[in-house]
Amino acid sequence: MTQAVDPGVPGGSGAGGGAGAKAAIIGLAAGLLLTAGSALAVRSWTSTAAEHLAEPEKEKPKVAIADQAEVAYCTPQFKQVLERVLHSCGLAAEGEGARRGCKPADVKTFASISDDDFNALFTPLKDRGGVIMFDEGRDELDDRAKKLLEERWYARKGARYFFVVARASKTGSQSKNNALSHRRANSVMFFLKQLSNDPEIEQKVGLLWLGNEFAQLSKEYCSWPNSRAEEKCDEEPINRSAFVSWVDCRL
Amino acid sequence: MFSRGSKAPAVIALVASVLGLIFASNSTLDYAAHLDRRLHNVHCSFIPGAAAVPEAEACRAAMYSPYSALLKDQYWGGIPISLFGLGAFCFFAAFSLYLLLAGERASRRTLAFFAVVGTTPLLVSLLMLTISVTQLGQVCKTCAGIYISSALLAFGAITAWLSARTDSSRPAVSFALVPAWLVALGVTALAPAVVYAASAPDQRPYITQCGEIKQAKIKGDNPVKIHGARAVQPTMLFEDPLCPTCKAFHDRLVTENIIEKLDIELVLFPLDNDCNWMLDSALHPGACIVSKAVLCGEGNSRAVLEWAYDQQEYLTRAGKAGENTLRSVIKQRWGESMLRCVDDKKTDVRLNNHLHFASENNIPVSTPQMYLGKRRVCDEDTDLGLRFTLSQLAPEVLK
Repeated sequence: MTQAVDPGVPGGSGAGGGAGAKAAIIGLAAGLLLTAGSALAVRSWTSTAAEHLAEPEKEKPKVAIADQAEVAYCTPQFKQVLERVLHSCGLAAEGEGARRGCKPADVKTFASISDDDFNALFTPLKDRGGVIMFDEGRDELDDRAKKLLEERWYARKGARYFFVVARASKTGSQSKNNALSHRRANSVMFFLKQLSNDPEIEQKVGLLWLGNEFAQLSKEYCSWPNSRAEEKCDEEPINRSAFVSWVDCRL
Repeated sequence: MFSRGSKAPAVIALVASVLGLIFASNSTLDYAAHLDRRLHNVHCSFIPGAAAVPEAEACRAAMYSPYSALLKDQYWGGIPISLFGLGAFCFFAAFSLYLLLAGERASRRTLAFFAVVGTTPLLVSLLMLTISVTQLGQVCKTCAGIYISSALLAFGAITAWLSARTDSSRPAVSFALVPAWLVALGVTALAPAVVYAASAPDQRPYITQCGEIKQAKIKGDNPVKIHGARAVQPTMLFEDPLCPTCKAFHDRLVTENIIEKLDIELVLFPLDNDCNWMLDSALHPGACIVSKAVLCGEGNSRAVLEWAYDQQEYLTRAGKAGENTLRSVIKQRWGESMLRCVDDKKTDVRLNNHLHFASENNIPVSTPQMYLGKRRVCDEDTDLGLRFTLSQLAPEVLK
């Protein structure tokens, strides 16, 4: 079967007039041009992307990196003492039998600063930390001490290290006070272990125990948050204590 | 509708084709620009030729969706479907131009062919519109531009045929031209896609350049486990339940059925300075509380997380309204016991441990983040390049 063919239709032939053929040619040309143009445009877009990909981004948006907290009181001097405590008092040590804590002689050696300067380093921690008070000659934590300790422990935020600076009062012999101070630090540590059930607590808590030969607290420290705020306070009871605080410094 | 011999239908079809061409070009250009793995503005307007803008969430969501491209496993980002539109509209523009110039010399068969093929973009548009509404929950303006152009084209093509179908004075053409035109349509529709596939840059050297995490697992009883039904790939995700990008990412994992192949350890990383010390201000107020709810979900954590994503806008508003509003929303959905858990100090500690895990690993402060084993998946590979990246780094996930 044959069919009449319109000469003006794309692919058509015959005697239908030039206008139809012209329309077909223009349509065909437009189609070719548009297709080629779109293909070239796509090629150009992908090439541009490839060029950008190969060259480093000049103004790459800066992304913050997650890290522990670092606040204003982390002065170089504070961090120096902190670092020495970490290395000298066992936090940075690994493995079984690694030494835990620092005795007064160690502190005097590594801190290399005066008593007052040492205490002043902790002044910015006044509100972050707390003073856990003990009875005379005792190392047991009472309920108020446990409550304050628990509050401070749970308020960790971005801190990496928890410091415990235990003290014994000025009265009594140096060796007795050293031993008592040590036991107080251990009481705090024992309670924290029970509270946190954290297998890595040894890497978080730094223990220092001071006798009456270094960095005793003055009466002014009675105004710091402590576990016996309602009781009379002076230089004797304030030194029957353990100062505890998270420290928001990076090392 | 139009008188016999009217050129209006051809004009409509031509205008529609040119509009479709512009919208498809914009869409393709946006897609191709992202092949450089950087963030770009996106065209998202009903106005043809309008500039690309940074705020174009609906268009960005459409672009990142699994429906925006084909062959995503083989090509980074896949072959965008707008390329086929681009090619097809070239054909329709040229054919419309011919019909306009030929006028009454165009045969009825030619017009019938045009009426049939001229409706195909509309059918595809209807399909994509349905997907947009039902799967993405939004319609991007550039896509809508293509849909409208397709509808106009179909209108022009059909009315052109209707106005000429009783016109016996028109010449006839050989039926053999019909397959030839179909081939031409196929070639023009495929040409841009073929060029794109051949010239798109090789992304393989870049997908392994985003580093590794120091610790592949979070310690103790802290992790939130989401174990897919056919889990084969250990994966760590850092997410914030009130982060829209995390929601979009999670939706992609679910929609593409990837999540069932992942053994996920979810680390909650709320971008809310209420608990996250790494921020000066809250990007997503309330994210800390919602994160604690996810932690409290325990075996049901995925359900709580997905609830948070589903209700993200509402929860975000509640978070801005204040802690108590948010807490009452959580209580209403998950009950009193969930709220007790959220308020428990141990949950605070758990969430804090998640944040410390992030800081110990010095990860970027951004969400979401995905780690396949210890290897970090680059941000740009979690959206456009997700399937390609998985096909390269964890092919078993796509099997």
